Amino acid sequence: MMDIVRDVLDTSVVDRNGREMGRVDGIVIEQDDGPPRITTLLIGPAALGSRLHPALGRFVTRVEKLLGIDRDRPSKISVRDVEEVDRKIRVRLTVGETTVGAWEQLLRRWIAKLPGSQ
Amino acid sequence: MKKIFNLALGIVTSIGGFVEVGSISTSVQAGAEFGFSLLWAVAAATLFLAALAEMAGRVAAVSKRSMAAAVRERFGFHFQIVPLGAEFIIDTLLLTAELGGAAIAIKMLTGVGFQWWVLPAGFMAWLLLWFGNFSVIEDGVGLLGIVTLSFVLAAWRLHPDAGDIARGFLPSLPHHDITRYAFLAVSIVGATVSPYLLNFYASGAIEEKWTEQDLWINRVTAFLGMGFGSTVAMGCLITAAMVFGPQHLKVDTYEQAAQMFVPVYGRWAVTLFALSLGVGCFGAAVEIALNAGYVLGQALGWTWGIDRKRRDVSRFVAAFSFMLLDGIVIATMGFDPLRVTLISVALTVVIMPLVVLPFLVLMNEEQYVGRHTSGVFGNGLLATLTVLGALMAIVVIPLEIWGS
Repeated sequence: MMDIVRDVLDTSVVDRNGREMGRVDGIVIEQDDGPPRITTLLIGPAALGSRLHPALGRFVTRVEKLLGIDRDRPSKISVRDVEEVDRKIRVRLTVGETTVGAWEQLLRRWIAKLPGSQ
Repeated sequence: MKKIFNLALGIVTSIGGFVEVGSISTSVQAGAEFGFSLLWAVAAATLFLAALAEMAGRVAAVSKRSMAAAVRERFGFHFQIVPLGAEFIIDTLLLTAELGGAAIAIKMLTGVGFQWWVLPAGFMAWLLLWFGNFSVIEDGVGLLGIVTLSFVLAAWRLHPDAGDIARGFLPSLPHHDITRYAFLAVSIVGATVSPYLLNFYASGAIEEKWTEQDLWINRVTAFLGMGFGSTVAMGCLITAAMVFGPQHLKVDTYEQAAQMFVPVYGRWAVTLFALSLGVGCFGAAVEIALNAGYVLGQALGWTWGIDRKRRDVSRFVAAFSFMLLDGIVIATMGFDPLRVTLISVALTVVIMPLVVLPFLVLMNEEQYVGRHTSGVFGNGLLATLTVLGALMAIVVIPLEIWGS
């Protein structure tokens, strides 16, 4: 179990077109009757922050909310969507089907206005 | 054929290492106060930086990962936050000092106060990053860097004694001020081997799509490139030793330092010195800012790359822009670049083990370097030198600051 956590946590995640989705910043582990298993991969600064300290995670979430990023934070990817775990984790989704691009989109609104950004 | 020109990556990296505000000031002080006798420290710093850059390039060529990415994957975020946090503090200080150095250079050329030039210099750096691609940055800074050879030419024209120079490459204890001597030796290494250079070099290798076939190019680039910067730094030290040494001058300002060009270049002295300093500092500032984007992008798994459309890498663009803005704001507040340099150099040597040791672990793992692992001897030597350097810094720096 610990090996799986080590192999999965901090690994980079790519979508089915090979686009970067981020790194596994956190994982959700559930246990019913059988052995504990990973159910969800978390991606986003809030998950990363709460790994250092829960308060930091809450702070990041609050900042995101102020900026209007409030849907599915941190981004959750079900392990059912994972296609392959190797040097990178490949998932069946695309970036657009998830919320991993929220910060990128927020900043793009400003950056796309500058000359030469295309 | 194009790959041959990749030497530019080595030269650009070496400008950030050897020909910027920190290295120029330490070389001038070393030469003025101790003649040629600290040349060995420049040589040691060169080998150290070249060996580390070669490793960073090797990991990048084989695994397509920079240091920041590899360390996060291998050691996890909890570990990484410590060297990463330290590196960002140091890089902010360094960037402040480089912008200050570039501003001082423009002040020497124009006579108008240096605080006025921080913002224009920073904005120029941002324009280069916004509109340029990796080759423009690399070739541009590399070509401008040729002006810094005026240090080498100056040393040459002063006809130093070859035997004296050769003796400078053998470490020896001075007859006076042992603490100051050790402090300068540590500073020379600390000013040269900045952690950001390694990640910058590795990211450059990824931007230029090096593969396992390019490992020999990597070796040549790392060693010849650093050789360029090293030659300039040695030229600077030798010139300072020949001009200031006999007068027993302690050099405290860049205006003073520029006087070392007078015997060779006459009325062009200040102009040439200012251009060399300005180009070196500007290049280093661009590299530090760009590397902030690289490090964050790689460690956090963003899309990144200076050759991509800016709107497609918004977080990466925001990261290098904020880094520059940060440096501009702090530098405008008017901190003395020499003092800021001193602090960042000292911190660099102290955190070096945190940066280098995990990296050496990676160099033995097939996952990152394939069959091109480092030998036990090389790893052991680098690890020992790093730790010794840090220990020496911890002893010497407080002695220098509070001792006298």
